[in-house]
Amino acid sequence: MKTFYVNARYLIVPVMTIATILGLFIGNYFAWLGVILFGLNTIVDTLTKNIHLRADFDDNGNSYGIKRLQYAVMYLMLPAFIFLQVILAWRLYQYTSVTSFETLSFLGLSYQSGITGFNLIGSVLSAGLWAGLGIIYGHELSHNRKEGFLVSRLIMALSGASHFTYAHVYNHHLDLGHEDDPATAPRGRNVYSHAWLSHVGQSQYSYDLERDKLKKQKKSFFSLSNKWILGYLYSLPSILLFVWAGGVLGVLSLTVIWAISNFLLEALNFMGHYGLIREKGKPVEHRHSWDNDNLFTSWFFIEIGRQGDHHVRGETYFWELDDVDAPNYGIGYFSLFVLTLFPPVFRRFTQKLLDDWDENKATVAEKEIANQFKNLSIS
Amino acid sequence: MFSLFKKKSSSYSATLMPSGKEIRVKRGENLLTAALSAGVKWPYKCRVGSCGTCKCKILDGKISPEIDFGYVLNFDELNDGYALACQTALKTDIKVMVNLKK
Repeated sequence: MKTFYVNARYLIVPVMTIATILGLFIGNYFAWLGVILFGLNTIVDTLTKNIHLRADFDDNGNSYGIKRLQYAVMYLMLPAFIFLQVILAWRLYQYTSVTSFETLSFLGLSYQSGITGFNLIGSVLSAGLWAGLGIIYGHELSHNRKEGFLVSRLIMALSGASHFTYAHVYNHHLDLGHEDDPATAPRGRNVYSHAWLSHVGQSQYSYDLERDKLKKQKKSFFSLSNKWILGYLYSLPSILLFVWAGGVLGVLSLTVIWAISNFLLEALNFMGHYGLIREKGKPVEHRHSWDNDNLFTSWFFIEIGRQGDHHVRGETYFWELDDVDAPNYGIGYFSLFVLTLFPPVFRRFTQKLLDDWDENKATVAEKEIANQFKNLSIS
Repeated sequence: MFSLFKKKSSSYSATLMPSGKEIRVKRGENLLTAALSAGVKWPYKCRVGSCGTCKCKILDGKISPEIDFGYVLNFDELNDGYALACQTALKTDIKVMVNLKK
């Protein structure tokens, strides 16, 4: 029973992604289901903010997580996210070809053929939000061997962000908390500028990484061994699909989807390390990441919120990550995400937490760097 | 071809040089994790294959790199058989040179 509970609790995103796909397929107002689910999740996350759980192990210290099952689910999310884009492309095609409205049936499921502009907007927003949430699998698999790493790249490519996989492992995990890491947000930065700076910075890092690697291997930059170029080529099928389905409107829709999904990705990076400081070259420790580990966030985001443990034991499976007394926002990702959208509110919320970090967790050298921010009136 | 049907060992041994200490590395486990579990003070930092701190030289035996070492190790190191312990699974028993004093 415990094994079932531990493994089933991580299926919220797969189930809701399928529901979003079905919503797009059924059409009419169901096209907005993905947006509604996102809103409901924010409410549930806020309501469960005070429930914090530890990782579950049996008496012998073995985890209840079933590796094969969790990996099968993560791998199956790739076709699910591809299907999400295909269904949206089909709706775009219906809209641009002015398909007449009628109720049809497919395998016993009634759906509305044809779509209004209003419901098409709902479809695009739903697809963008859930493609963005799919990034949690791209992240988890980026820490895995060959085939998992490739699936991670392909999932990220659906959002035009395949560069993330390399930048995350080789840059973020090595340099977090320092200005060399574009994914770490320094104090005073807001999520909007961070989204752009982090995205471009990580792509630049991935570009430099490939350039240097290929130089070492005496290969041309313009080759299929170049993972930076290859990553963007992986995104080509999505572009072609949306151009075919909707022409200019298709390009616009894909742009919105990528903007939303990349914003969610960078918001996660933003929340994960905002304002925390590490001296260059010093070991990454638990205090260099923010934990978000209330019940709903932990289950929904497959423990990605246990950043403190993840960054010290990067090879650890998500279901084994635990509370390590890292700095903790005390609220979940959905609730915190809403706060980040209002930078003055977010800064006010984090001020006390950062003061506490400076006082009780920072080393002398880290405190000095924090003081430099304070001297510039950045908090 | 018949090696396809050969039953894979559930663990392999890694002999750490120059001390000669032997550790067992289970299937699905990497060399660094096995060494740390055995109480070896193997130097490490990131554990995801990005810093190069756990670098070692494979003297004998076959390994399976879990990521491309080419981003961290240089051309000469790759040719000389260097590997990142945190991203190294074993395919046979191995002998490995590691500087534990780093």
